Amino acid sequence: MNEITIIGAGMAGLMAGWQAAKQGKKVKIVAKGWGATHWLSGCIDIVGYYPVDGTEVVENPVAAVKQIITDNPQHPYGLVGLDDIEAMISALKDECAAAGYPLHGELHRNWLLPSAVGTLRPTCLAPEMMIAGDMRQNSPLLIVGFKQLMDFFPNVVSDNLNKQGITAAQAMVDLRVLRERSFINPVILAEMLEQPAVQKELANQIKPHLGQAERVGFPSVLGMDQAMTVKKELERLLGRPVFEIPSLTPSVPGMRLHHILTQAIVSAGGRIENGMEAIGAKKENGKVTAVYTSTAARPHPHRSQQYILATGGILGGGITTNSDGDVREVVFDLPVTAPLKQVDWFHQDFLDKRGHPIYQSGLSVNKQFQPLDDGGQPVYGNVFAIGTTLAHCEAIRERSFEGVALATGYALARQLGAT
Amino acid sequence: MQDEFNLLDMAEVPLHEWPVEQTLDNCIKCNICVTACPVAAVTDKFPGPKYEAPQAGRFRHDMQPTPDASVDYCSGCRVCNEVCPTGVRIAEINARARRQITKDSGIPLRNRLLGRNELLGKIGSYVPRLANFGLQNPLSRSMADMMFGIAKEAPLPTWSTKGTFWDWFKRTRAQRLKSEKKVVYFNGCATMYYEPFIGQAAVAVFEHNGYEVIVPPQKCCGLPMLSNGEFDAASEYHQYNVDHLHDYAAKGYDIIGTSTSCTLTLKEEAPELLHLTDERSHKLSYATWDIFEWLRERHEAGELKTDFRPLNMVLPYHAPCQYRAHRVGKPALDLLELIPGLDVRESTARCCGIAGTYGYKSEKYQIAMDVGAELFDFVKTQGSQVEMTACDSETCRWQLEHGTDLPSRHPIEYLAAAYGLYDLERRALLNE
Repeated sequence: MNEITIIGAGMAGLMAGWQAAKQGKKVKIVAKGWGATHWLSGCIDIVGYYPVDGTEVVENPVAAVKQIITDNPQHPYGLVGLDDIEAMISALKDECAAAGYPLHGELHRNWLLPSAVGTLRPTCLAPEMMIAGDMRQNSPLLIVGFKQLMDFFPNVVSDNLNKQGITAAQAMVDLRVLRERSFINPVILAEMLEQPAVQKELANQIKPHLGQAERVGFPSVLGMDQAMTVKKELERLLGRPVFEIPSLTPSVPGMRLHHILTQAIVSAGGRIENGMEAIGAKKENGKVTAVYTSTAARPHPHRSQQYILATGGILGGGITTNSDGDVREVVFDLPVTAPLKQVDWFHQDFLDKRGHPIYQSGLSVNKQFQPLDDGGQPVYGNVFAIGTTLAHCEAIRERSFEGVALATGYALARQLGAT
Repeated sequence: MQDEFNLLDMAEVPLHEWPVEQTLDNCIKCNICVTACPVAAVTDKFPGPKYEAPQAGRFRHDMQPTPDASVDYCSGCRVCNEVCPTGVRIAEINARARRQITKDSGIPLRNRLLGRNELLGKIGSYVPRLANFGLQNPLSRSMADMMFGIAKEAPLPTWSTKGTFWDWFKRTRAQRLKSEKKVVYFNGCATMYYEPFIGQAAVAVFEHNGYEVIVPPQKCCGLPMLSNGEFDAASEYHQYNVDHLHDYAAKGYDIIGTSTSCTLTLKEEAPELLHLTDERSHKLSYATWDIFEWLRERHEAGELKTDFRPLNMVLPYHAPCQYRAHRVGKPALDLLELIPGLDVRESTARCCGIAGTYGYKSEKYQIAMDVGAELFDFVKTQGSQVEMTACDSETCRWQLEHGTDLPSRHPIEYLAAAYGLYDLERRALLNE
């Protein structure tokens, strides 16, 4: 029997699985499919905007997290505390550095990196692949796109940067290897760019456009497993720093993080099983004794001592809504904190600065991450919930998505590992 | 069937019960399937799962020509289903799309041949040595390549020269265990004609654990036909199996197979692709187990004997795509790990490439080998001490042997060997 079964393989589930396995727990992660890792930027946001109205960019996440905890003790950061956020960051940085793909940044200082539409994006940890794009230093840029990659338009980035007073030029390259293909996607492009001949052709096409540019930005497709080598080679060929800008899904930087975390879990003795949708649970005497996943025939029971719910919120599929206004947690049918009436889900204005109440819905948990019933008591003794399935936070607008997922996953795993 | 559902109702129906085609509405175009697809990774002829099922799917209509000829390059490995975060049944939608192509333009003779592995198996088994000579010599293989489009290098099986599985089962009837506890064994065509020793190992493991084995009349599960777009013929075969297995299912017997693709077809592929929603198909589906799925269940209930002898070897194990499509985890891995001395190395390769009959086709052979390279490389990196590999599916084992030059065995052979019942080298029971 497994000691810990984790449902969901997004950032929260992977972090919890890795940390628990590392402490010697027998861990299995079951997931419907690949998780948010492939949807995210590959950076670790801790908090980018606070208050969430989007008017104030957070420069120092430490101060903002403290403020969040004071204003809203129920916020997932209130359950975790600053120390565990710090500890999570250093564990993740160590693992990525050991994998040859370093993350850079400190909790007290956000980066300001360009987005794929040329806006400036605060984030706490960024892969080395991206940090030359930091906009707190103002040196001229060249933004490069690939003619056949329809997910990234360099002129959009450069035009918007210019409007913000940042000197940026753009160039579109037309590589021979891409002209020969009928289909292209970021992953195939990333793997092609690991070939030295392609790197050379790319650099040769860029050189005439360099002008006054002191650094060169690309969509995030500069290599998959060999990303750091690709970066260094392009820097050598172009004679200046290069950086990546995260673009549409599938996110290559997100996949690189996914590889590192899944490798870490398997090396620590954990197991990850995909294609398994959790559809219900067996409950006996205040405890869950099995979680069922759908199979090609009968539901399959996963028996375990403890269960960690990391299925995400409405986007991740952990919480569903229907047209009658019901908001449900899909595996255990745990009580969800949400507006009672459907009319209260949204404010009148689509872009209301306060955000919409439905996006704060989720599970209320105690400091042990146990979901609570209406009376404030744990619903099941052996069920825990982490990540964006938790209520009282609006991770996407707050730019705390990775931070909330990773920090709650880390803190819970440390708690369970200690017992 | 689709008409019975409207959007409002669907919100009340759990995702895993949605009709296959309806699931394409769940696609959010995140492209995760495109990044995972082993075929799109190696050939430009296949744009990736998203472009077929959820996108071209919107333009698919019975009365119109198929909008995406490239769907023929889908190998049906189902890796896309496995990684899709929103529950789109991509592989099933593609299988139906391939059927549409065969409706439009007819089924090539080659695909009819590959779909009829049972018939071929039966014919060859009358004259196995001659048939083997025919299939293994370069001249006839070149001719088959030119005439039918069956790749001359592809790893076709060899017929058993010691008779079929049923020959053996009948011959040894007197020695077979009688018991209150019974299981029904679905042997599948490969065990029947090419690898009877897999069935022998399975019977030995059942009997070692006190179960009497029943082998009822059965036919090909129909999967090769389903993959080649011959739905009507597949339906006849499936109906035969329902007729002959249903009574056992109704009596509560478990129906257990050693071929992961046969059991998947009985469980899900046939009922789903053929739109069979009747009670009997459903009961059969519910009663069907892969052998390791079933053995793991026994083990979890504390009913499996664990008197294993050490097998001192390093063993690369690949869970085949069709097995992962059962969505039961990796039960063979769970049990092989119980065998002392056995150092099992789990492959994370997506697919061996062969995907049933896909890699046998001349125009797809190289794609299949390029897909399999990930797996072959994994085996190579496990070091020179590796003497054999393990995989649950027959065509994948043949492809693994073809790509690595190492013998490959079904996990049940290792389990039987660990019980001291089976010789892994000779592929035969020890008492025979």
